[in-house]
Order: sequence, then structure tokens, then C-alpha cells
Amino acid sequence: MNRRSFVKAISAGTVGTAFARRTERVHGPEKSPVAPSDQVGLGIIGASSRGQELMRYFLRVPGVRFTGLCDIYEPRFAAARKITGEETPIYRDHRRLLEARDLDAIVVATPLSLHAEHVVASLQSGRHVYGEKSLGLTLGHCNMIVEAVRQSGKHFQVGHQYRYAPWFHEVVQRAGKGEIGRITHIYGYWHRNGSWRRPVPDPKFERLINWRLYKEYSGGLTAELGSHHIDFANWVFGAIPESVTGSGGIDIYRDGRETNDNVQIIFRYSGGRTFIFSSLTENAKVGAEVWIYGKDGSVEVTMEDATFYYEPKGAGSPVSEITERGVPTGATYSTKGEMPYRGPGSPVKVPQGTEGNPNLSACKSFIESLRKDARPFADERVGWGSGVSVYLANQAIEAGRRIMFADHLKR
Amino acid sequence: MISAKKNGFDHRRLINHSCRLSRFARSTGAAVLCFHIAAASLALPAPNQLFYESRPAMGTSFEVYLYAPNRERASQLFEAAFDEIERVEAALSNYRSSSELSRINASAADARVVTDPEVFALLGQALAYSRESDGAFDVTVGKLMKAWGFFRSEGRYPSNEELAHAREQTGWQRVRLNRQDHSVFFLVRGIELDLGSIGKGYALDCVARVLREAGVTAALISSGSSSIYAIGAPPGKAGWLVRVSDPLDRTHILSTISLKDQSLSTSGSYEKFFKLNGRTYCHIMDPRIGRPVEGMLQTSIIAPEATDSDALSTAVFVMGPERSARLLDNIAGTAAIFVTDRNGVERIVRIHWPNQAANAPQVFKTESR
Repeated sequence: MNRRSFVKAISAGTVGTAFARRTERVHGPEKSPVAPSDQVGLGIIGASSRGQELMRYFLRVPGVRFTGLCDIYEPRFAAARKITGEETPIYRDHRRLLEARDLDAIVVATPLSLHAEHVVASLQSGRHVYGEKSLGLTLGHCNMIVEAVRQSGKHFQVGHQYRYAPWFHEVVQRAGKGEIGRITHIYGYWHRNGSWRRPVPDPKFERLINWRLYKEYSGGLTAELGSHHIDFANWVFGAIPESVTGSGGIDIYRDGRETNDNVQIIFRYSGGRTFIFSSLTENAKVGAEVWIYGKDGSVEVTMEDATFYYEPKGAGSPVSEITERGVPTGATYSTKGEMPYRGPGSPVKVPQGTEGNPNLSACKSFIESLRKDARPFADERVGWGSGVSVYLANQAIEAGRRIMFADHLKR
Repeated sequence: MISAKKNGFDHRRLINHSCRLSRFARSTGAAVLCFHIAAASLALPAPNQLFYESRPAMGTSFEVYLYAPNRERASQLFEAAFDEIERVEAALSNYRSSSELSRINASAADARVVTDPEVFALLGQALAYSRESDGAFDVTVGKLMKAWGFFRSEGRYPSNEELAHAREQTGWQRVRLNRQDHSVFFLVRGIELDLGSIGKGYALDCVARVLREAGVTAALISSGSSSIYAIGAPPGKAGWLVRVSDPLDRTHILSTISLKDQSLSTSGSYEKFFKLNGRTYCHIMDPRIGRPVEGMLQTSIIAPEATDSDALSTAVFVMGPERSARLLDNIAGTAAIFVTDRNGVERIVRIHWPNQAANAPQVFKTESR
């Protein structure tokens, strides 16, 4: 499927309006804002693997029902209906979905290049939006979404679910209070061992299913994996980067893909603070984790937990006896001080039973935002911060030079 | 090995001779079942080759055999298959605090817990099996298992107090499912859902769906050999051969059958047990009396789907052949083979069990014990 037919099929509504009309149901006047006691009707645009996973989480929140499923790939309707457990109305054109009247909010889980179109259309239809990360493929897309949220007055939450993990909050709070001293560096890794390629039942669906591998739809590893880490660095530093350099390439899987199979990115924040992100696809030793380094300690943050480590205290012990006894001399260089610390750390404790699942917590929080009419924590500004960083990082990798954020951002 | 890898060819993933298979058969923990794939069929100019990959999941090792045109395609399919297993495990695991099941167990005694239709449907299926088996199958036996020392250890005889306490916190009738809002509620505190006797089968059914959607027409997937699901059949074959071994003498094959778009699950008392005063106490509980099942060595069940065969292999193990016959009569496409132990005498009972597969290897004597 070429670009034009792909985009056309998803946006131009060439398919079955008759069917769409038949499956649309009218449930009285549109509900907005959502009252606390109300059932929340959700529609989803893009019911592929991530979309389906989000559906499962949303359906674990009391009072939530999916009232519309939109996709362009036929087999997904059956799969998504299996998740809702009912004959949920289906749409092959997002504009027909947005004409339905029993929708309070839209979940957008389409390829990155389509986020802006789908999020903006959903907001303009008067719906709140839960939009997958990264915010948008380009600066223009990111800005469009922020502007559309402002104009619509609706709530937007970006899919940075780790913003809802209690141990992430604990780390940001404790590190922010200076527990590991001045924070100078953050190192983030998302290393995997696999081609990132999904099986395609028919070659004509290659670009539709493996869209992550093609530049016109995707920001590659930087967007799909790195955006979470970038968002975390922005959160810890309380800022977005000032500049970015990076490298990467298609060095392992030369299978026709266009996005890099490995990237190494250096973001510089104000005051020399630095965030380094690395993503590999043929070694998974470190998995996905982030290290925060401060003068007095470090924090290791993973998708399930976090651990503090403290630097040894150098000063303080009385040393006057060396002036009496002298210091020893020898030819041996001790490596001890240079060896990696391999002892235990101090695990971050969150109250028993509140660890939860960040995905579920994020979905639950979004629904609460609608019911309480409160701004989501991971709002469009959070999404904008990581979204523009992803975009400029990929530009830096491609151009092979440092990119200054100020040259590109007018905000 | 090194020269093979230089050619871009990885022996670990391609099975092309039978000794690889017999090694697999030996390595499957219970060694109850093993597979035969004729080497000859791969020598033909067939478009597909057989690939294999195994990864640990759900406290066991999942094995996937599938036919694919090349290694690259096979590895994509393996990724998709094991991703799906991980998805199911992340939802159903009792060992992960972030799982949906842990969330339900932690709070369903306080208030109704709304869950998604998929998890709700699986719980509904589990309770339906409890009802149909008159409580022989029960996903609330967790506390009973712990009292008998079968949680992460090898078992022990509980005190009367421990047993009474565990029985108060057991019982499928104490779990309420509400279809209106897909919620789960426990009538007493301390109930613990444990899907260990149905979850692995469910994972196999999910993987089968993923592989079929990706166009796979011949594959065999297994969860540590205790449940096996066959998609289609190897090229030119009627089905995938599966051997059911004698629990007392694993070299003795009770039956070799052919599976095609079917599942087979086995439960055995030999997996975990302890002996006390001449009696053997196995890890499979009879929830109705709060004690380990006695007199049963092994049950194998064929069913159209692995969720069913997994649950049924435990249910019929507890129920015994006579009562199981009535249950199986009501479930289309099922069959069972029992190995019972009456005072040291082994007895084989078959219910709708298929004939020996036509292409079964003739190297093993059939039952004569």
C-alpha cells in the first residue's frame, strides 16, 4: 500500500458509508462535560496492538464502555469486538465515528503521522482525547494539537503512562529535594534484541502493520521507545532540552526499513545538564531503564520499580596519623575505586498495593479527569515537550549536526 | 555450529533431524508427551521449514514449533507468539503485583472490581467448569495449596486449624461475577483466585489465534508439555503426533495420537508430591474435601481448545473416570485417558479416546500391563 492510498483509506472515507450508517447508534444528546456518575462512552481510532491494550485497560475502569471502533484493517474489528465483548459499532472512516452521538472521548492509537489529524478532528468534534505518544510526527503536528486543545477547551492526555507510576513520582520528588545532590546527568536505555518487525499476513499490508519502520509514518526508536525516557528527563529537569545531537543507522536489519535500528542521542539542558538516550535492537542486557546521576547518588528507574544508590562519603574521617607514620608506597594501582558498584541499593517503597499498573492508572486518571473536569497530569504540554524533542533529535541524527531548540521553537 | 551460523543458518531454530526431537522429549519436565516429526518430509522441496523456539513464561517453558518459509519470517512469528504469552501472563499472573488478577485478588473482598471483558469471560469460564464439575475444578484452591505446602515448596501435612482456616478461604461459590458491569466480588475475605489450572491453556489459545491471523497453517505450541495445541498438521501429515506415556514407566507409551486443530492437556500426581506414613499426597487438590486427590496417577484430555483441555485435565483428575464420563459426554470433541492406581495396581481407562494414530511409530509396545 503506497502512502497515498494508505492515508486516503484512513482519512478520506472511501469505504462503506452505508455500513457505517447501519452500525451507528444514536443515544440521545451528546454528553459533555461528563458527570461523575455518568457512563463514559469511548471511541477508538486505531485498534491495533497498542490500541487493543488500551481498550483492555479502559474497560477495567468502572462505567467505561467502548461505543465505536475505527480502523482501516478489517481483521481488527473482530479482535477489538472480542475485547469489548459486544457488537460494538465499527467505522472505517474516523469522520463517521466522530459523527456518532454517544461518545464522550476518543482514544487515538494510530501511526504517529496520523496523530495530529485524528486528535485535532476529535477535539473539534467536542470530544476529550487520550492520544498515544509521541505527540506528533513534526513540529507542526505537535503545535496543531496544542492549539486544538486550547481552542476546544477539552481535555487531552498523552500516552506517557509512567507519569502515573507511583515510584516515578517518588523518585522525581525525592531527587527534586536534593537526595542525590545536584542532578547533572540522566542516562536512558531501551535496548531490545529483535527486529521490531511484525508478521504480515500479506505483503500488501507491510506498511500498514510495520509502519514503525517507515519514516513517513514513524519517528522510529526515538519516538516509539525514547519518548517515554525523554519525557522522564524533561520531568526530572523541569525543562525541555536546549540542544540535541545524535547518531544512528540501519546497520543490522537491512530489510527495506527506513527508520534506524539503533540510535544514540545527547540532549543538553540548561546549566549543562545532559540526558543521553540509547536504543539498540540486538542486545537486551540492560532492557528499558533510566539512571539519574547526582553529585551524591544515583537512581535506577525501571518499568516496575526504582532504587536509590549513594556515593561514598569522601571527606570527614580524621587522618592526622599519616603525618606521624607516613603513607605507604607501592607499584600496585588499585582498581577498587574504579569498579562498578555492585552492592545493594535502597529500593523505593510505595505503599503496599498501590504499585498498580501504570497503564491502568493512566487510563483511570483520564476518566477521572473527565468526571471531575480536571486537567490531566500528562497533558498536551507534557506531550509537546517530549514530542518536539523526539522530532528535533531525529532531525539532528539525519543532519549529523547539533540542533538548537531555540532555532525551531517559537514557544 | 560456527560454520553453520556463518551461512546465516541457526541450528537452534531449525529442527531437521530426529535426535533434536528426542532430546526435546527427554527435556520436557514430565516427559509425558513428545512429538514426532518425520525427518523425510523436510527433505522434499517443500516451501516451508520447521522452526522451533522455547522461552520461559508462566512458571514453565513455552515451546513453539511452526512452519515458515524462512528464518526471518519465523523469528517475527516467534516474537508475536511470545509477546502474546507475555500479554496473557501480565494479566493473569499471581506472581506479579501489577497483574489484573493481583488487582482483583487484592480488592474484590472490599468492593466489586470491574475488569475487562476478556478477563471476566475467562473467570466466567473457570466458574462454569466449577459448576459443571460440582466443584472438582476450582480456581480458589490457592489457600488450600498453601496449607498443604505446595506453594513454592514440596508439600507438608497441615494442622487441623490450618486446614479449617484454608477451607474457609476456598470455594468457587464465594466468587460472584456480575455480567452487567463485568465486576468480580468475593463473599469472604481471603479468597484468592489462581488460574494455574486454566491460564496456560488460555495462553495457548491466544497464541493460536495470533499465529493463525498471521497466516500460519501448521504449528504446535505447548506450555511445558502439560498443554499442547496443534494448528493444522505438518505438510503431508494427518496431524501432529503426540505420545502419552505411562506415568510409572516413561519409556512405555500408552497411546500415540494425532492432533489437528485440537488440544491435549495432561495432569499428573508425580509432578509434586510428598509421602507420609506410606501414603502419597500429590499437589492436585480435591477442593470438595480439602485434601489431595488419591488413587489417580495421570489424566490426559483432548478438547477443541486448550483452555478447555487444561481445565478439564484437572477436573477429571479430581472426579475420576466414572463421574468424568458424564461430564465429557456433555462437551463436544472431548476425550480422556486415565491412569489410576488402586492399591498399587495400575489401571487404564479410556473415554472416547481415539485409536492409535495410523502413522504412529511402531517401536513401542502398546499397553500390556
